[in-house]
Amino acid sequence: MPPRYLVAGLALAALAAPASARPVSYAGGWTLMQENNGMYSSLHAHYSPTATDSIGLYVEQNWDMDTRFTGLQYNRLVRRWNAPESQGNLYFKLGAGAVDPFDGGETELGSFAGIAADWETRRVFVSYDARARDYGPDEGVSHAARLGVAPYVAEFGDLHTWAMVQVENHPDADEPVTVTPLLRFFKGPLLVEAGYTLEAEEFLLNWTWRF
Amino acid sequence: MKLLKTLVLAAALSMAPLAALASPETSTMAEPAPGEILMANVNGLVCDFCAQSIRKIVGKDDAVQKVHVDLSKGQVRVDLKPGKSLDDAALEKLIRKAGYSLVSVDRNIAK
Repeated sequence: MPPRYLVAGLALAALAAPASARPVSYAGGWTLMQENNGMYSSLHAHYSPTATDSIGLYVEQNWDMDTRFTGLQYNRLVRRWNAPESQGNLYFKLGAGAVDPFDGGETELGSFAGIAADWETRRVFVSYDARARDYGPDEGVSHAARLGVAPYVAEFGDLHTWAMVQVENHPDADEPVTVTPLLRFFKGPLLVEAGYTLEAEEFLLNWTWRF
Repeated sequence: MKLLKTLVLAAALSMAPLAALASPETSTMAEPAPGEILMANVNGLVCDFCAQSIRKIVGKDDAVQKVHVDLSKGQVRVDLKPGKSLDDAALEKLIRKAGYSLVSVDRNIAK
């Protein structure tokens, strides 16, 4: 019986959307990024042929719009600023695929485009993400910003911990502005985030595995 | 004469085990010199994903034996294989391929 629950859990996880961690890896690197919150669940599995590009599958199960998006996503690292004690990044994202309503309605073509910027030191993290989507009947623009602080500085291989606050704006949602306090745990190739969205009273659980 | 031949053969056979015992000593003395150690100062090293990228890309090079990343110092220590070399341009290319910026390289670092 436990394997069934495990399979069901992994299947649910595989239906999970837009990613908060860096969407481009090193040349030859693979990444799995999975996000779950009250609005959607998503999975983005991508491969980076170079240190500035990645391409892969993107699946989003949107609980708000009762639709599933399945398609390809391309990410481009437009610019990186490497400094002695910090790093900044500017990304461009593009996706296209099929949108299927949960009720079995007609499949439509869908697409999205986004920009993301982040800057971090070993103590402070800030990011901003904007995304425009056209999922057939569901279209709009959303924004997300984060501020994070590391309570201690960890070395490579140690457990890294971040306390973060995420503010999101979905103009068409019942709660247009939401605030989510969250904790990020980071060790080796695995990053896990857990939080709680105050307005929606929903939990957030994200993870990224890079290999 | 036959006796002399027998004595020479017996002496040769009796020396063989001694020669075999001596051979390991000979190989120990011929141990190759340790490889060169490079210390690269790199910009942008702020997280474990950064360190992991550097280790994966630099560690794949044929000349490299071991890679250690020090996030606090922003340094990457590269131990080369004995007899192998890696010039600054090649190391810079590897670091860039991983997504980071090489600032300088210190060579002949003491172990």
